[in-house]
Amino acid sequence: MRLHWLAYPLILSLTSLSFYGLISFGDEGFDTALLQDSYFYSILGFTLKQALLSALLSVGIAIPIARTLYFFPDLPAKKLFLTFCLLCFVTPTLIVITGLVALLGRSGFMTPWLDSFFNTFMDNSWNLYGLSGILIAHIFMNMPLAVRIIYLQLQTIPDNSWKLASQLKLNQGQRFRLIEWPVLRSSGLLLLCFIFVLCFNSFAVVLALGGGPQSTTLEVAIYQALKYDFNIPEALTLAWTQLLVAGGLYWLITRAGGLSWQSVESNQYLWRPKHNPASTRRAMIIYALSWCVLLLPYLSLLPGLFNSELSGKDLRAIGHSALISVALAVIAALLAMAAAFALLQPIRQAALGAQVKRMWLYESMATHALVAPAMVLSVGLFVYLLPRIDLERWGIIFVVILNTALVIPFAVQKLKPRLLQFDQQYNRLARSLKLTRATRWQIEWPFIQEIYLATLGLVLVLAMGDVAIFSIFGSPEWTTLPWLIYGYASSYRITEASTASFILLALCASFLFLLEKYTVSRPTPIKNKTPGRQPQYEGNTHA
Amino acid sequence: MKKLFAPLAACVLATSAHAADLTVYTYDSFVSEWGPGPQLESAFEEQCQCDLEFIAVDDGISILNRLRIEKDKTKADVLLGLDDSLTEVTRRESLVQPHGVALDGLKAELQWQDQDFLPYDYGFFSFIYNTENIVDPVTSLRELIESDASVIYQDPRTSTPGQGLMLWVKAVYGNLAPAAWNQLATHTVTVTKGWWEAYSMFLEDDADYVLSYNTSPAYHVIAEEKNQYKAALFSEGHIAQIEVAAISRYTDNPELSKEFLSFLISPQAQTIIPVTNWMLPVVDNIELPEVFDHLIQPTRIGFTPKQVAQQRKVWLREWRSSAN
Repeated sequence: MRLHWLAYPLILSLTSLSFYGLISFGDEGFDTALLQDSYFYSILGFTLKQALLSALLSVGIAIPIARTLYFFPDLPAKKLFLTFCLLCFVTPTLIVITGLVALLGRSGFMTPWLDSFFNTFMDNSWNLYGLSGILIAHIFMNMPLAVRIIYLQLQTIPDNSWKLASQLKLNQGQRFRLIEWPVLRSSGLLLLCFIFVLCFNSFAVVLALGGGPQSTTLEVAIYQALKYDFNIPEALTLAWTQLLVAGGLYWLITRAGGLSWQSVESNQYLWRPKHNPASTRRAMIIYALSWCVLLLPYLSLLPGLFNSELSGKDLRAIGHSALISVALAVIAALLAMAAAFALLQPIRQAALGAQVKRMWLYESMATHALVAPAMVLSVGLFVYLLPRIDLERWGIIFVVILNTALVIPFAVQKLKPRLLQFDQQYNRLARSLKLTRATRWQIEWPFIQEIYLATLGLVLVLAMGDVAIFSIFGSPEWTTLPWLIYGYASSYRITEASTASFILLALCASFLFLLEKYTVSRPTPIKNKTPGRQPQYEGNTHA
Repeated sequence: MKKLFAPLAACVLATSAHAADLTVYTYDSFVSEWGPGPQLESAFEEQCQCDLEFIAVDDGISILNRLRIEKDKTKADVLLGLDDSLTEVTRRESLVQPHGVALDGLKAELQWQDQDFLPYDYGFFSFIYNTENIVDPVTSLRELIESDASVIYQDPRTSTPGQGLMLWVKAVYGNLAPAAWNQLATHTVTVTKGWWEAYSMFLEDDADYVLSYNTSPAYHVIAEEKNQYKAALFSEGHIAQIEVAAISRYTDNPELSKEFLSFLISPQAQTIIPVTNWMLPVVDNIELPEVFDHLIQPTRIGFTPKQVAQQRKVWLREWRSSAN
């Protein structure tokens, strides 16, 4: 199994080729004039501001919700809620934008109430557009993910801690500070920077809900430079800035906060502090509110759906594209999972040897695609390949390859904790028993199976939502469902577009639910009791 | 699993067909099944007894970018879907050659003299409103900007209509454009990346006016039987977007390319394009659905492609620093 020595060069060469493609195409490599333009600094400032606020708010709001889920294991439909959280994260921005506009826009369902509230208390009328709209959309997409991860992270707190706390008669504040905070701090920090990077790269949402040129992110500037001005030096300068700033921040924080080790899992009873009726009521309210917040944007789109009548031709087109989308995404997701597995090998070795720096280095390489601007990667590769390969014929292969590359970081981050945990618990035993690779795998697979399938679901739906890469490498006979939606939308057929979006969403949802369902097909937790293995273990992960 | 991959395999085989006699680069919505592409293709193939292939990219600007990358290795014989704001750059990078098609059949209003680019449809940027919400529409750009009516338009950095509005404000206000942008910003709902985001927000009733084309109402009447959407006629005149075709400098088949360009402005093609691409025909006396007679007919103002190419960056900077 020396596949990882192939995996690293492969993903690194993809990025290098992209940058090489752009650098060798432009005559000059770097546009220093841009660095003297105050415009550049104002958009950099805005990008940082909105990303930081989005990340802080998402995590800040997620913490009380996750704690509620954790402390009240008997909440109705909790499993469904957690899956739904994942769905919000992968919902195409097109749907998020229309949903929020239908809900909170000038003629939105909620707007009359918001207006009267704002008029009474703030002497101002409600306005979705501006920083508020950007933040609402970013929170809507990322907060649910944070809830999920923090919830799963809280589950790693050993029961003994709670028992001890109750014996020592710690009050709520002390319990929070001594027991929960250490767990929240490490996962919260990672989540903060993960969401920060995602919002840093945000584009369509920022422009659509931003309200004017004051809301411009680096990604907008890259798009403009690369596409409208075809100014490659400028695009490269912006891309380097993005890599340095987003990447630098990301790596710094993962380095500072990413070293908490998973506690060894034990077969335990789930023991939670007792609650008084008031806090139970409060929990129910928080839970119900969270459901509302997540569901409302989707519900507000339903009325538009009932107006549309799809012709048989449209249905066939949608069905055909859906089939293509699913097939491409399945291939990309399987490739990404295999690649992630290979990429994780040296990381696991380094972790076993407690070589922190080496581990960090490998991890940075394995997940670098997260911070590289996707647009630059795909355009760069396009520029490199166009004179060399018949892209009309083979473009679709690069749609798959690039999609694979872009979801690898998610797969790596999600698989990592479980694999490290396996090594920590069983590596010595496996070595002392001199297990063959095959036998070892037989033990390892059941241990990682659940998280493996859940991750597969996530990367699958992420790849299914792609438009950016398809817009560059795709061709009409391979039209994917998201691309078809954009096609409808850009020729007035907005009802068809929203119906097709719903079909896409339903497809994503069914994949997520199916794969999650499969992972918990074994005994589900009975009251106050978990089976030997926790149903879903995501641990110290980002996605 | 086999069943799943059968259609995919079929697609691979379909794409690997031999090179066509005439390869046309165009944008995606042109060749979508509801766009003009399929009908034009079968009509032209019947006429020339040859094989025509469309290669579709994202949009007009992507056609240009693709040629810039491919240079002499391009497969394109004809470029279809650039607009008048891109003609200067394309010419400057010597990517096209004279088309040699007679221009005297074109509408006089277009005043078209360009020997490299041939128009095949056009439209006027216009603000669309819903008559159920607006009873007294504004009658000039000044009135709109000085009003407090809510407006959604597209970002001039990332979209063609947005760039159209930028030219429009510049043409009407000249040096006073920054103040006008500033005033417009006070009642601008938002500025979107592309056309459809703005238009779908407008259809959700999120603005009184949205920037689009004077032909937009025709779509609502013909495809949806909705009469409430109208374009506002502005007394200062409107900026036009003229979509053009050109022959690639590197084509192996200039004769067939020229034949295709002539076909584009033939009555047959000009009857297909308006009701599939939702723009106006470039020649007179084309039989069109009745709704086209009721569209507003603005006077044309604006700049030459050369002026646009020279000033675009400055104007963009002006917009971005004053439209806050």
